[in-house]
Amino acid sequence: MKTLLPIIRRIWSHEWWALLRGTALAMLVLIAGIALLGLSGWFITAAGLAGVAGAGIAFDVFRPSAGVRFLALGRTAARYGERILTHDATLRSLARLRVQLLAALANTPFARLPALRASEQLNRLTRDVDALDGVALRLLIPIVSALTAVALTAAVLRFLVDPRVVTWLLSTYVPGSALALVFVAWRSRKPSRSGQLALNAFRMRFVDLLRARADLAVSGKLATRMEHVTAAEARMRAAVARTDRIERTGGIILSVTESAAAAGALLAGAMLAKTGSIDPARAALGFFAALALAEMLGPLRRGMAEIGRMTDAARRVNRLLATGENSADRIDEWPPTTRRDSPALVMRDVRFMHPGAEAPVLDRFELKIGAGEIVALVGPSGSGKSTILHLAARMLDPDEGQVEILGIAARKWSEPALREAVALLPQRSALLSGTIRDALALARPDIDDREAWSALTAVALDRAVQERGGVDSRLGESGAGLSGGERRRLALARVLLRRPSLLLLDEPTEGLDRETARNVLAGIRGYLPDATIVLASHRAAEREFADRVHYVAPAGSPAPPGN
Amino acid sequence: MDERASKARAAARLDGMLAPDRRRLSAASWLTALTSLLWIPQAALVAGQLAALIADEDPFPGPLVASVAFFAIGILRAVLSSIAGGMAFAVADTTLSRERAKMLKEQARRSPVVAGRNSSAEIASLAADKLDLVAPYLTRYAPAMARTRVVPLAILAISFAVSWIVGVILLVAGPLIPVFMALVGMAARDASERQMQEIGGMNALLLERIQALTDLRLLDAVGRTVDDFEAAADRLRRQTMEVLRIAFLSSTVLELFAAIGVALVAVYVGFALIGELRFGAWATPLTAGEGIFLLLLAPDFFQPLRDLAAAWHDKASALAVAGEIAEMECGHEMPMLGAGASTAPLSGSARIVTRDLLWTTPGGRKIHFPDIRVEAGESLAITGRSGSGKTTLLALLAGLAPATDGKIEVAGVHLDDEIADAWRARLGWIGQAPHFFNESLRANLLLSAQDRDDARLSQAIAKASAEGIVAALPRGLDTQLGETGHGVSGGEARRLMIARALYSDADVVLADEPTADLDEATAKAVTEGLLALASRGTTLIVATHDMELAGRLDRIVELENAE
Repeated sequence: MKTLLPIIRRIWSHEWWALLRGTALAMLVLIAGIALLGLSGWFITAAGLAGVAGAGIAFDVFRPSAGVRFLALGRTAARYGERILTHDATLRSLARLRVQLLAALANTPFARLPALRASEQLNRLTRDVDALDGVALRLLIPIVSALTAVALTAAVLRFLVDPRVVTWLLSTYVPGSALALVFVAWRSRKPSRSGQLALNAFRMRFVDLLRARADLAVSGKLATRMEHVTAAEARMRAAVARTDRIERTGGIILSVTESAAAAGALLAGAMLAKTGSIDPARAALGFFAALALAEMLGPLRRGMAEIGRMTDAARRVNRLLATGENSADRIDEWPPTTRRDSPALVMRDVRFMHPGAEAPVLDRFELKIGAGEIVALVGPSGSGKSTILHLAARMLDPDEGQVEILGIAARKWSEPALREAVALLPQRSALLSGTIRDALALARPDIDDREAWSALTAVALDRAVQERGGVDSRLGESGAGLSGGERRRLALARVLLRRPSLLLLDEPTEGLDRETARNVLAGIRGYLPDATIVLASHRAAEREFADRVHYVAPAGSPAPPGN
Repeated sequence: MDERASKARAAARLDGMLAPDRRRLSAASWLTALTSLLWIPQAALVAGQLAALIADEDPFPGPLVASVAFFAIGILRAVLSSIAGGMAFAVADTTLSRERAKMLKEQARRSPVVAGRNSSAEIASLAADKLDLVAPYLTRYAPAMARTRVVPLAILAISFAVSWIVGVILLVAGPLIPVFMALVGMAARDASERQMQEIGGMNALLLERIQALTDLRLLDAVGRTVDDFEAAADRLRRQTMEVLRIAFLSSTVLELFAAIGVALVAVYVGFALIGELRFGAWATPLTAGEGIFLLLLAPDFFQPLRDLAAAWHDKASALAVAGEIAEMECGHEMPMLGAGASTAPLSGSARIVTRDLLWTTPGGRKIHFPDIRVEAGESLAITGRSGSGKTTLLALLAGLAPATDGKIEVAGVHLDDEIADAWRARLGWIGQAPHFFNESLRANLLLSAQDRDDARLSQAIAKASAEGIVAALPRGLDTQLGETGHGVSGGEARRLMIARALYSDADVVLADEPTADLDEATAKAVTEGLLALASRGTTLIVATHDMELAGRLDRIVELENAE
């Protein structure tokens, strides 16, 4: 319950008015249902009594039968209204929750983004949120309205029938349904959780297998991996079967409770009527009310079966929301206007170590790049070229030392201003499915054809796109349909469209043949004649393109002379 | 696609899904019908008691016996209903599991060369999440259907036997329900199909966005992405409400019919009992016991119909899922050759010969490959512009896709389904886009090997110049890797893949751009590693842009641009 509370609060805080009305209607439905059956039973029995007594003419049939009709129609209408209200409110709050989760996820620090399992996060936003739809619908509202209805019914029956019948009904229904609820909630916690874990494992292993099936087939491990997927599925089935058994046991407890309550009410009514303490019609009323109370257990049956799943999902959702809210990369001030004459990028005495690593990547690192320069960073793999670019784009913060971007300390940039001024092409960039225009519009939402083509021309992709049918031709999942080199160039076009003052390129011509690489580099300069460009580079074409080459020595080894 | 044909296909697919367990399912369904019928003796017991009270007679059986019998039958109903539920659950469990296994088997062998109609995430979500929507059709809809066939007829027969008027009332009110239900069902199906598509589309969209979070933030597109998602989430909510509104409306109308039917019965019985109406029953006048009995049965005449209406949506959902599965299956996606299982390697010298090899891309582009002849121990570079088919050729040689036309001969035999696994048992594969499993680096490196030999693994890592990468990871070989590789750059991932190929016992290695993403020194080291393999007698086929690497191999084959 403690895990569910924050969720309830979130749902409640925005939709309280709809939920309040929904709960009121739900109570109305229950009470009308109980009144309807009780009244009908009483009416028939009373009519029978009047018939036997020969007092048929004097018996008022119209008011009770009008009451029956009113209750029947009113209850139906109330139920429709209640369902629409509560479902709409729940769906609204769940949609809002999903958006909050995505925003929280987007706030994950850059350094942790590569380690995110996207499919796992997707579950938070879809499956886990879906699991929470019953919190209000099948748990909160039914419990609140059932408690109210029971209390009200007990009060009325005490007055209309007999306190002893009321005592019997309360002493069966209240402990019986509480027992069922607690039993199911308690017992299904573990299987719900392990079922969810197994389901995630199944989905993840399935996706893993599909994505790596070339590797797996060649290594002869496809069949083994399929068994691995099937093993997760078997665990999932076992957990679901267990939940089903628990749920059915809970169902038996409820059914026995209902039968006991009704049988007891029948017996008590018959005895009391026999002794003359109540008339037979009131005895019938007690029995029929007992039957009707069973109706309130209906929604609880489904709700209690979901408790385990709900708390499990709520736990993960709460955690993601909390981390998202705490860990946003906060950049505080809007910067003063950048000065043209200041160097584009300065690093002074910078030290950076990846968390958990044994040695720093950069130590006492110095760099100064003037405005408009093109500088190629070279050095062996692992010497920290990418890290320098990440520091320059403020994806990382140095452990020690200063980074100045366009004359302003890196920490003083606001995130939107920084992204406006600095663009980075990472080593691997993700493309989305959609048209080529969509891909480019990610960088410039209001892009027109002319801009699109000029960027595509700059990266020597215009011919290939024309052959595919223009900027409105579609790409598959993560850019499928384009070759590796074409994907690289499309990502590059996207970055160029930002028109940054400082352009950071991590191995921009990877996967391109020499001639295309030269064309692309020339195109970049032509497109951004004034920008400062820093490349992490290992190719001759890139070095030739640069005004200057900066050698990055692995941390701990001395820089070669002449640098 | 013709809508009617696709609906028919969905229905046929759903039917086929259930075929193996149809008998068990109908046993479970009929058992629930029997359970419902047990209400008839319970109602008779109650009516007997109340009638005796009205007439002030001693009932047979006495109140105590009647109450105990009522309770006992109630327990019997609870137990039988739980058993029936368990049976239906078991059917759903085996059916879904069978479908998942089938999907896994078909999708795992899909050729990686051809981008499928569905993304990996969509397929996995179909198997893991959406398929679950078939379960309620089996556990709720089918039993409700059986009850609808049995219970109303039985109650109708009893009613006619007692009072023809009550029989007529039920007969008139009852059939209106299925008529209305059919109308609603059609609307519900369309709405629920739209909803399903919306869910699938939203999930695919989200997964891609989550994978691309780094890029989205660098392009300052997170805000827009969240807005887009908010719009999508809201669209989904509205679509869901549309489905629910239809469902709620239909159940409201049914409740209304049921309520009117029961109210009419009650009014007739009431008037008959007080002596106002002297017709309608066979033995006039209607006795109190008969009247109460009929009134107790009337709601249960409508209950199965209402259950069926509530479950109507389940059928629509199940059909929608079945339709999606059918559509996925009719994609005629190309399977790879062989099963991807580990078998004894093909014997004979590792000679590879291709003749008139032709590949047609899904877009219809034809690629004619030059005839290739590679002797065992030879090394060959495949060069050509981006998009000329280098990767495809490697995939064809590994049996990862069947050639459109032409022949591939490996170790003296024709490469086909039969021998593909045995051939691949001799292959090492260094793909272009490394996929890391969510496991330790060690497990990822040992993928293709049969055994774990740490010394040999270190050697392979050293040969691929990857020691630095392993050392830089927080937990070395035991580091958990994420979806795209935790803290591993593109070049590093490539070298790890090379280490994996080196560790395996392959005597033929196919490598796709092995030196891409690597700086010159490392590229040189990797080239040396590959050449060391070649000098050990391994046949080497490398698709590459890197003329340095190509020049070190025995021969170069240049692919023409595709026509």
